[in-house]
Amino acid sequence: GDDDNYEFGKGNFTEHACRYCGVSNPACVVRCNVPSCRKWFCNSRGNTSGSHIVNHLVRAKHKEVCLHKDSPLGETILECYNCGCRNVFLLGFISAKTESVVVLLCREPCLSVNALKDMNWDLSQWCPLIDDRCFLQWLVKIPSEQEQLRARQISAQQINKIEELWKTNPDASLEDLEKPGVDDEPQPVALKYEDAYQYQNVFAPLIKLEADYDKMMKESQSKDNVTVRWDIGLNKKRIAYFVFPKEDNELRLVPGDELRLRYSGDAAHPAWHSVGHVIKLTAQEEVALELRASQGVPVDVVHGFSVDFVWKSTSFDRMQGAMKTFAVDETSVSGYIYHHLLGHEVEVQMVRNTLPRRFGAPGLPELNASQVFAVKSVLQKPISLIQGPPGTGKTVTSAAIVYHMAKQGQGQVLVCAPSNVAVDQLAEKISATGLKVVRLCAKSREAVSSPVEHLTLHYQVRHLDTSERSELHKLQQLKDEQGELSSSDEKKYKALKRATEREISQSADVICCTCVGAGDPRLSNFRFRQVLIDESTQATEPECLIPLVLGAKQAVLVGDHCQLGPVIMCKKAARAGLAQSLFERLVLLGVKPIRLQVQYRMHPSLSEFPSNSFYEGTLQNGVTINERQSTGIDFPWPVPNRPMFFYVQMGQEEISASGTSYLNRTEAANVEKIVTTFLRSGVVPSQIGVITPYEGQRAYIVNYMSRNGALRQQLYKEIEVASVDSFQGREKDYIILSCVRSNEHQGIGFLNDPRRLNVALTRARYGIVILGNPKVLSKQPLWNSLLTHYKEHECLVEGPLNNLKQSMIQFQKPKKIYN
Amino acid sequence: DDEVHVRQKVPEVDPREEANFEQELRAVMQESMDQRRQELRGRPTLNMMIPMNLFEGSTRDHHGRGAGGESGDEGLDEDAGGSKEVQVKVLVKRGNKQQTKKMYIPRDCTLLQSTKQKEAAELEE
Ligand SMILES: [Zn+2]
Ligand SMILES: [Zn+2]
Ligand SMILES: [Zn+2]
Repeated sequence: GDDDNYEFGKGNFTEHACRYCGVSNPACVVRCNVPSCRKWFCNSRGNTSGSHIVNHLVRAKHKEVCLHKDSPLGETILECYNCGCRNVFLLGFISAKTESVVVLLCREPCLSVNALKDMNWDLSQWCPLIDDRCFLQWLVKIPSEQEQLRARQISAQQINKIEELWKTNPDASLEDLEKPGVDDEPQPVALKYEDAYQYQNVFAPLIKLEADYDKMMKESQSKDNVTVRWDIGLNKKRIAYFVFPKEDNELRLVPGDELRLRYSGDAAHPAWHSVGHVIKLTAQEEVALELRASQGVPVDVVHGFSVDFVWKSTSFDRMQGAMKTFAVDETSVSGYIYHHLLGHEVEVQMVRNTLPRRFGAPGLPELNASQVFAVKSVLQKPISLIQGPPGTGKTVTSAAIVYHMAKQGQGQVLVCAPSNVAVDQLAEKISATGLKVVRLCAKSREAVSSPVEHLTLHYQVRHLDTSERSELHKLQQLKDEQGELSSSDEKKYKALKRATEREISQSADVICCTCVGAGDPRLSNFRFRQVLIDESTQATEPECLIPLVLGAKQAVLVGDHCQLGPVIMCKKAARAGLAQSLFERLVLLGVKPIRLQVQYRMHPSLSEFPSNSFYEGTLQNGVTINERQSTGIDFPWPVPNRPMFFYVQMGQEEISASGTSYLNRTEAANVEKIVTTFLRSGVVPSQIGVITPYEGQRAYIVNYMSRNGALRQQLYKEIEVASVDSFQGREKDYIILSCVRSNEHQGIGFLNDPRRLNVALTRARYGIVILGNPKVLSKQPLWNSLLTHYKEHECLVEGPLNNLKQSMIQFQKPKKIYN
Repeated sequence: DDEVHVRQKVPEVDPREEANFEQELRAVMQESMDQRRQELRGRPTLNMMIPMNLFEGSTRDHHGRGAGGESGDEGLDEDAGGSKEVQVKVLVKRGNKQQTKKMYIPRDCTLLQSTKQKEAAELEE
């Protein structure tokens, strides 16, 4: 697709930027005129005693310069008017005795030419070009304070180092100085950064590490002997259905991923391969792959295919591009946001806007007090953080904020989130307020079904019916029918499509896309002063930067740093801090998040522990016990009106068949019994979620239930069994949590992360059952307090499900204080 | 409207670095002077070709571009209370052709001493 040709940072780099600090104001820079050098430098001192250009000339022993073509004198090599000497260390201005005319004259020998004195020139006031280690400020301007603040803060030591490096490698950049060796641990993330270049120096290698790891992992995912089922889609494209067996590794296919399907050929068929996009993943873990090319597909062959993952660097490229833009393009974000993101101390700034009379928005539920407070505060601040604990209505709050921003008439609002699911949810809510929303999808996801299809750009392009577009539609139809167009038609089609896309996007009030999607070339000419990023605590910093560098002056980050953060596969990058979100760093820098305080999801008994342990007890209940009573559901809760229990399990953990994960047979068997009891009492499969942190256990439970389930197999198949991570952002009426780990001396792995426990405990609306070994879990302080909480409420139980008894099991002393 | 106030630390220049730089700068200056003296043993020639109209009081600029060209052709700004800057013509060579470019320089620049004296003298008359 078009995404492939995207070059990051393209067009932002100015050739005449100071090679030390990046200042690129033409009035402030000169070019070194030594043919082997030709580098540009500015006339600011920065943190050194001489200006950058003088620093360079002295250190490199270069002596000639040329002014910028857009400077007051135009493109001019500075030279003596009399003899043509170009050594700037010898040049100075003289003026005429009677007129306001000046010329450059060299000190040796022209200044001592006697004949000059007889002319109109006043030689007594020779004014050297370089004065106080700086070029004359009226000839080459000093960059403004603002310009200098946003420039790279280069030190004298760095200057000396880079000048040394240039002697052998004239094209070296300052980044080359910082580059860690192959085996070095990367530089860890910091709280504050001198400038955007230092920021880039830290994050660029981490993104590179993650990209390399991702590539290596995905490209090693080839599968052979794949069996294919063929189909044809509505758009007449070939679809291959097959099972892409997921072993216990971290790779999870998502719609939009690209795979290559191969057939090595046989007597009747030549070798064949084609690339396609995953458009769907069925509940049976079947992959639907829409092939790009329809010609020559061996549709009568079923067995013996191979599948490879086609890795794409797009998302990583866009992160790198955003960091570069952030550094070199001073219009990328406002000065305030620039300094704030880098952790500089900036004087508090308020946004001058008239506030609306009411803070709710049409089509949305009435806001509660903390939501109103959030909307009101956000509208007045250039940067704000909203913390939305589970079930506190952050999507509604975000939608209301976007509604009011859009009504302020500052141009289009950009709304992003790291995941497509979150973007869709938000797009739907915002659209409900009556605003015109365009949901921009990656080209590779256009065939993926979406709950907000009518809002997507590609849908609108296809369906908006006006006479001017009839030609586009005609060509589209032709393309759909024939699979391809003649090259002239294709050209016409592409131009028409691009124009229509632009027109539709420009007429929207709000553009919604993923963070990575904000780097789509189709948005490259758009500017967004107001940006809202939902689920920002699940994005890496460079990912969050992509939507911000399109001109942000007001940024709202929504998320919850007490829930799971971004997933980083490369351990080295994670250790260096790539897993810390921008939201979290801003919190550490002292930005106080506005917390939404009323939760509408959990039965009040279920919210008590999370509120006390993760939110300082501030979480209030917007639902009553009555509203969360499971009437007509006959389930053996140990305490009526308290739909929760910890079910003591003493079965051993085992290493799964793949050797990289764990399972626990006893827990799995009891999960089946609990599920069956729920189903018997009238709960339907879609209401139940089984959470387990281990892929080994997940696969085992799915298998066990469908083989040993007491009821119809189909019922168990419809029950979602998944990891904590994949339940983030979602809810179920009933949650069963299988902890798996049960051993004498090893740790509890995944369960150690308090944020993961928070997510696991806050998915259920009506009831929760936790299965685990208290002896093992109680060693960890947070689990210890959870177990104590359950015990105090008489919800720590053991025995058969139909005869649960309170457990008297002794806990172990927690190892260390949880911080 | 992008006014931003950053509380920054005043950049401190390392005195050793400063001394080192000063030394190198002097060396480059000295080297430049010595080099010139060696290059030009003989008497330098005078090659100051001045455009005919330059000293005729003509303020018309034949080479339209330059700093603040639109702010008028007043030459020395007589309004003492106003601008701190003065417009001058900079004479440069492009190959064998001479050009003048307009430019603003600070009123208190030493370069303008004699012009100022002349002004003062004229005022007294
Ligand atoms: Zn140079
Ligand atoms: Zn510079
Ligand atoms: Zn000379």
